[in-house]
Amino acid sequence: MSDRLTRRDLARLLGVGLLAGPLGAATRGGGDARAGTVGIAPLAADELGQVAASGALIAVSAAIAAATGAASGEAAAARLFSAGDTVGIKLSCLAGRPLSPRREVVEALVRLITAAGVPAGRIIVFERSSRELQRAGLPLRRSGGPYLCYGIDNDYDPLPSDSGAIGSCFARLVSTHCTALVSVGVVKDHDLAGVSAGLKNWYGVIHNPNKYHDNNCDPYVADVVNHPFIRGKLKLTLLDGVTAQYHGGPAFRARYAFPLHRVVASMDPVAVDAWAWRVLDSERRQHGLPSLAEAKRPPRFIATAAKYGLGVGDPSRIREVMA
Amino acid sequence: MSEGLTRRRLVVLGAAGVASLAGPRGLAARSELEVGKPVSPDALPAREASWYKRLPERRVECQLCPRGCQVADAERGSCGVRENRGGTYYTLVYGLACTVHVDPIEKKPFFHVLPGKTALSYATAGCNVECKFCQNWEISQFRPEQVRSWWMPPKALVNLAQRLGTPLTAATYSEPVVFWEYVRDAAHAARSAGLRPTVVSNGYIQEKPLRDVLPLLTAYKVDLKSFRERFYKELVRGELKPVLKTLEVARAAGAWVEIVVLIVPTWNDSEAEARDLARWVKTNLGPDVPVHLTRFHPTYRLTDLPPTPVTKLERLWQVVRSEGLHFVYLGNVPGHPGENTVCPGCGATVIKRLGYRILDNRLKGDRCPDCNRKIPGVWS
Ligand code: SF4
Repeated sequence: MSDRLTRRDLARLLGVGLLAGPLGAATRGGGDARAGTVGIAPLAADELGQVAASGALIAVSAAIAAATGAASGEAAAARLFSAGDTVGIKLSCLAGRPLSPRREVVEALVRLITAAGVPAGRIIVFERSSRELQRAGLPLRRSGGPYLCYGIDNDYDPLPSDSGAIGSCFARLVSTHCTALVSVGVVKDHDLAGVSAGLKNWYGVIHNPNKYHDNNCDPYVADVVNHPFIRGKLKLTLLDGVTAQYHGGPAFRARYAFPLHRVVASMDPVAVDAWAWRVLDSERRQHGLPSLAEAKRPPRFIATAAKYGLGVGDPSRIREVMA
Repeated sequence: MSEGLTRRRLVVLGAAGVASLAGPRGLAARSELEVGKPVSPDALPAREASWYKRLPERRVECQLCPRGCQVADAERGSCGVRENRGGTYYTLVYGLACTVHVDPIEKKPFFHVLPGKTALSYATAGCNVECKFCQNWEISQFRPEQVRSWWMPPKALVNLAQRLGTPLTAATYSEPVVFWEYVRDAAHAARSAGLRPTVVSNGYIQEKPLRDVLPLLTAYKVDLKSFRERFYKELVRGELKPVLKTLEVARAAGAWVEIVVLIVPTWNDSEAEARDLARWVKTNLGPDVPVHLTRFHPTYRLTDLPPTPVTKLERLWQVVRSEGLHFVYLGNVPGHPGENTVCPGCGATVIKRLGYRILDNRLKGDRCPDCNRKIPGVWS
């Protein structure tokens, strides 16, 4: 996938002509060897779109190992999580089963976190509502089993908290309960934001995301992730890219879905979204569609997130490591 | 803004109360919904919206408020209560009351509408703007599945008003624009039952839906947040111009209109702005439209400001009156003479108030008892 878009194309899309200088200086990646690194592993589905649990575990392990530079998925998880953590895994399930993170991929991640010593009762897979999790094929449970799985439903902080332009009540799971967070998304087009992958997934933890869709969700997506509730705890972004969608999102549209056959991981939440943007634009071009920027919905929040120091938005510094 | 609800103060008629009051004349419940019973967040009643158009690729454009949200499949508009399902747009709050309460009409505030009478006041979740000083943010800034709500379709609402003896209804508290289909049908049902429907709104609505409902209303109150676009942009996430247009349309259509301006320290409390506002009202709506200047109290996302000093309110009260408006009131300052209705002809006090209470009503029909000048309003 990496050679479908030239560096110059990506630079143009991300506006680095304007931003490269300040971004380079501002990103937290300045002294972090893994900043800008995106680990990619192959994962194919069968003709029914399903993947085997064993295949998912191999792919997720490989992608995370590649992203972190660790020798294995277990070693990577041990670097990211400790036994005392309460780990919140936020899924992106709005599009229902065909375009949500697969249960096999989620459970592969859970196995690695468990191997790092985090007890099952402190691994919480969650979404905005229990109903969305159910529709995506995840098993709801508030106790027992290898991990917990439930919706935020109505459990928000009683008062709003400001971050940049947003003022929102955050899910208490994120603000209070969890000590470590993971974003598990997909690679898809979004009608307003341009890209919905790892960063925009965090809209699901505030009570009022509908208020923040103007201007291609910029700076709002970056503002949500920049809040200390998330910024201070976000350890990993994992994308289930077995099936991706280059147009017509955020709902699933079969005619725009395509087999990407990848699992992608990064400790850098900005780089992984920039990577997803590149993939979607490349696919759009192959189908004769204008780029997201030409369609007037460039994911501007990526550059803003980079400006906040959340990760690397400079395409020249995004490094794909194929597992 | 004076009728803020906190969670503690928010009085919702519970399931048993409403169910028993709805009685046999209550609307036949849909199979999964029972009048007066809480609605499960997982089973919000969806009803096709009345003001939208379909766009290619299963997208829709909402034509209810000036925001004009273009909404992709599976997404919602900015208000959070309207959802695109496969290219058809739905309201998720029709008949879904999150609060039902009997209030004095003075609380809305309407000072020229049936003084001393009560209004069955109702609201759903959601709002099309986001005022940083919203007193009702716990319902207005949430989505319907995040707020406990009861199934109260229009006829059940009106049935309840009749049983409680309230001659008025009021769509209020959050933002009636976002539940406009419900407002329309409740107003229609109220009219048919001989009640007087009113609306308390931010006025941020497109002209067509406004005109569709105005003829049904007895009175329409608009929160004019400020007379400056900057205020609307920075504190409201809305626009001033469409609200002014709404006021002109409503007034020209013959609806009884009152205006409320919440005076927020340092933001809209300049004499210059008050003067501009007063001149615009006088020129475009006429001097008889009541204007209520109300006192701000810190809340929601605007907690770093003090309450509006009463001396400041009094100064603005003088400024607005000096521009020739006949009925200028002060709100949230109980016991102040600015709560009273004074005859613009002879200066006599014709209605004396204390907070939401009427202490003395000297009106003779619609006239000043002293000089016989007509006092405009809905008095009987
Ligand atoms: S009513 Fe709601 S959906 Fe419609 S335009 Fe206004 S904010 Fe958008």
